[in-house]
Amino acid sequence: MVSVPAMQRNKVILDLVERVGPAEAGQVVEVPLGPGQQGLVERWCERAGHRLLAVEGDVATIRRGPIPDDDAMLDEIPVDRQPGARLWIYTNFDCNLACDYCCAKSSPQAERRALGPDRIRELVAEGAEHGVTEIFLTGGEPFLLWDLDEIVAACAARAPTTILTNGMLFRGRRLDMLRAMPRADVALQISLDSATAELHDLHRGAGSWQRALDGIRTALREGFRVRVAATVAAGEAGADEIAAFHSLLDGFGIDRDDQVIRPVAHRGFADDGVTLTIESLVPEVTVTADGIYWHPVTAGHEDQLVSRSLFPLGDAIAEVRRRFAAYRWETRTAAQRFTCA
Amino acid sequence: MAESLLVGAVAYTPNIVLIWEGLRDYFADGPIETDFVLFSNYGRQVDALLDGTIDVAWNTNVAWARTVFQTDGRCQALAMRDVDAAFQTVFVTRAGNEFDELADLRGRRLALGSRDSAQAAILPVQYLRDAGLADGEVEFVRQESDIGKHGDTGRSELDAIRLLMDDEADAAAIGINTWEAIGREELMPGALAEFWRSPRYSHCNFTALDTLPEDVRRPWVEHLLAMSWDEPEHRRIMELEGLRRRWVLPDMEGYASLFEAIENQGISPRW
Ligand code: SF4
Repeated sequence: MVSVPAMQRNKVILDLVERVGPAEAGQVVEVPLGPGQQGLVERWCERAGHRLLAVEGDVATIRRGPIPDDDAMLDEIPVDRQPGARLWIYTNFDCNLACDYCCAKSSPQAERRALGPDRIRELVAEGAEHGVTEIFLTGGEPFLLWDLDEIVAACAARAPTTILTNGMLFRGRRLDMLRAMPRADVALQISLDSATAELHDLHRGAGSWQRALDGIRTALREGFRVRVAATVAAGEAGADEIAAFHSLLDGFGIDRDDQVIRPVAHRGFADDGVTLTIESLVPEVTVTADGIYWHPVTAGHEDQLVSRSLFPLGDAIAEVRRRFAAYRWETRTAAQRFTCA
Repeated sequence: MAESLLVGAVAYTPNIVLIWEGLRDYFADGPIETDFVLFSNYGRQVDALLDGTIDVAWNTNVAWARTVFQTDGRCQALAMRDVDAAFQTVFVTRAGNEFDELADLRGRRLALGSRDSAQAAILPVQYLRDAGLADGEVEFVRQESDIGKHGDTGRSELDAIRLLMDDEADAAAIGINTWEAIGREELMPGALAEFWRSPRYSHCNFTALDTLPEDVRRPWVEHLLAMSWDEPEHRRIMELEGLRRRWVLPDMEGYASLFEAIENQGISPRW
């Protein structure tokens, strides 16, 4: 026979059924709690397919189910953009340049914080097992590393790999390193912000446009697939500027799909730009020496940290998928709730 | 062939709108376009089916029985949820009450749900009679908190459980769905115990008059039954509507016990 207080404690189940049951799917419901009832509420939510969001003081906050499983929520995203399909690796954080909008706060003074070939080899092996189909190497400037060829070989053996570079260092031993890289599964993404030196040099430093252009030529001559990416601030690139940019690259024989123009992100050194939050970014799992982050443009930002430890990578990928599915679902149910006039 | 079909449903939770908008979208890709209207109670819905305002009614078992009585059987059940073919009433008591069978309720208090609920009122009374208990031998404590909705909200059943927990009743008769919703004996170990469970009977169905043309009925039912639990968009609707896995053709034998109970208890075809 249960005691009277225990029987009273059990009544919370009736309140839960009565309050959460009639709520709209996706709605957040608050249910008052008495002492010792939290465990019961947890077990009930689990069983009934609702999600216990928080217990604060004497109130439990519950999201009414059914809550679709993560894979179903993510199914609507094209396979190659699903969280976990792309793996970003910050090989290092130092750079020969110090661009004013750099989202990684890189510069010649920045600490290197290199991941190193051994950890990268392990990461891409694990990644391949957990659905990674594309690898991006970024920094900092990856070509500052003397073992970049080893890193690229390890990555390209697992999945098509793109190296993001400012293209200014293809000389001497570094040119030899570039030449040693496989052509089939490796592409170079070189930053060039404008069709003429002025705008590019304004943000990246005098003479940098010319050297980047030379870098593009070298990479093309060496038989690499080259993608050119321009980073532009709002209002800086008008239609004429964009047309000139495309015609310059068309002249190099670079495919239009490989001519990318993207806005400055409001992160890192940029004091103006598009504001990015976890909710606004489709995640692309990003590994740095300091931890795993939600997206490459927000690497190093505490609010976007997924995990301090790099291994097992599969756990971080699963966590990102789970959180993103939850955001998508929240947005969808919120949209359903606020559709009326 | 009818261009479209209008289905009625009773709005006992806001999720009815999500469910029916989902079903309407699902049928938009099917052979018969389908739209819906919502009613506040089953009485009005059945009236609307009879006067031709709607083509099909998503009915409880009691509303089905009313339709049969009022049309002299000139109606048809089209389909039901898998759970509707296997509904049951559960008699529960406080753990420690040594009840083994319905006869143990002699001289005790039984909490019942709304009087128009098959699972929590009409059938339980019949089960007691079948167990040899004469009227008056068991004291009924009725909870009428969702009358008109045929027990759909489950509220009167929860109220019945409250009476039981407060020792104002010795047992309660509730639907298997409510028993599941409160976690059976598992969530409250040692608090409540099931001591009798009824045979399976049929619950809700899609009801139409017998004038619904066969070339509408067949493709509509086929399309409904083709909904798949493995399709995320279908599954969302099916989960909200309380299906376990699929829509099925109606199990008509499962209504026999309710018709018997209604006749036995002299319940009028309209109320
Ligand atoms: S934007 Fe690129 S090139 Fe410029 S400082 Fe940052 S890492 Fe270096």
